[in-house]
Amino acid sequence: MKIPDSIEGAALLSCIDFFLSFIFIAGIGGVLYLFPLLNKLGEVKEDKY
Amino acid sequence: MYELLTSLMGDLLLQTGLTQLWWGNIVMIIVGGYLLYLGIVKKYEPFLLVGIGLACIVANVPGSDLIKPGGLFYYAYQGVELLILPPLIFLGIGAMTDFGPMIANPSLVILGAAAHLGIFVALIGAKLSGFTLAESSAIGIIGGADGPMAIYVTMKLAPHLLPQISVAAYSYMALMPLIQPPIMRLLTTKAERNIIMEQPRYVSRLEKIVFPIVIAIIVNLFLPPVAPLITMLMLGNLLKECLVVDRLAETASNTLLNIVTLILTVAIGSTMNADSFLNFTTLLIIVLGLVAFVFGTASGVVGAKIMNKLSGGKINPLIGSAGIASVPIAARVSHTVGLQENRNNFLIMHAMGPNLAGVFGTAISGGIILALVGF
Repeated sequence: MKIPDSIEGAALLSCIDFFLSFIFIAGIGGVLYLFPLLNKLGEVKEDKY
Repeated sequence: MYELLTSLMGDLLLQTGLTQLWWGNIVMIIVGGYLLYLGIVKKYEPFLLVGIGLACIVANVPGSDLIKPGGLFYYAYQGVELLILPPLIFLGIGAMTDFGPMIANPSLVILGAAAHLGIFVALIGAKLSGFTLAESSAIGIIGGADGPMAIYVTMKLAPHLLPQISVAAYSYMALMPLIQPPIMRLLTTKAERNIIMEQPRYVSRLEKIVFPIVIAIIVNLFLPPVAPLITMLMLGNLLKECLVVDRLAETASNTLLNIVTLILTVAIGSTMNADSFLNFTTLLIIVLGLVAFVFGTASGVVGAKIMNKLSGGKINPLIGSAGIASVPIAARVSHTVGLQENRNNFLIMHAMGPNLAGVFGTAISGGIILALVGF
């Protein structure tokens, strides 16, 4: 079901999108919090191959 | 003989653009000239405004076939219409971007969402002004301050508004150093602006290599509508960070990006023809675009103020405005305003975190809009 083309639809779309943006971004942030654990797997040399 | 001469001169005159010139063309030529002034003299984003400015001028000199089907600028515009150029721009941007600041301080990525309130204020404002929901959504995405994303969403939802939306998006991005600082100062105290943040942690090469792979999977899985843009952004970044394809990374971040920027700016400027551009709709979109930027800046700063309170005073609220996606312009503005308060306060690397997160914030907002409004 698509969002209705009305003021209420615009408000609903905005609320859903704004709220979900925080959820997604927080999820990405949560994944990034785990990134330091990658360093336990090993190291990639900074020198170019 | 006299009649023949007169007839020939008349034919010559008719094939020039002089007979088709109207006051609207003159106005838009002046607008194009002003964009050139901003780019060349004031040095506001010259890589964007020089191409847009000249193409705008030329598009309003009637008589040539440059913008007509088969003309040179027409083919440049096909790169936009067929959504080829925006992903290529993202490839180049990814290849020149260091996502280290974003990886180093994951808590700041939330500002990439907080600073996007402007999208929704503009969206609702556009709907109240009489636009359809699809058109309002395309107008709202100006607030994401992401040119390629604005073009991408607009071409999907409201392609007839591309000239106005792309010009508004790129112009306001270039004018960010004028728009943002007064709002940042209004919403922060002197003490807050003087907060010096801790150095971010070191981010290893392995983390930087894994980052684009993981993000491409996550974002494409949850938001397929923006897969072309995010995939190219992450591909470019992987080319840069893996260190084994120097030539490709160099090409993507320099030659390719320059070529695509050239074509894109000409394509955008060529759409600024007076016949389609000079109307009340354009004025409305430009005003709504400004509203989006103002609210986005404000909401980013307020978001950072809240984070500052929750963290016990460790976060300088000036970096909140960088949550608007325009990389690295918004981060530079945060840094400059911070320096004006304290010459020892270097906020650029801290501001880059939310600035980079803002790219994903805009992609996420755009992806949700495309999924719900339809394309």
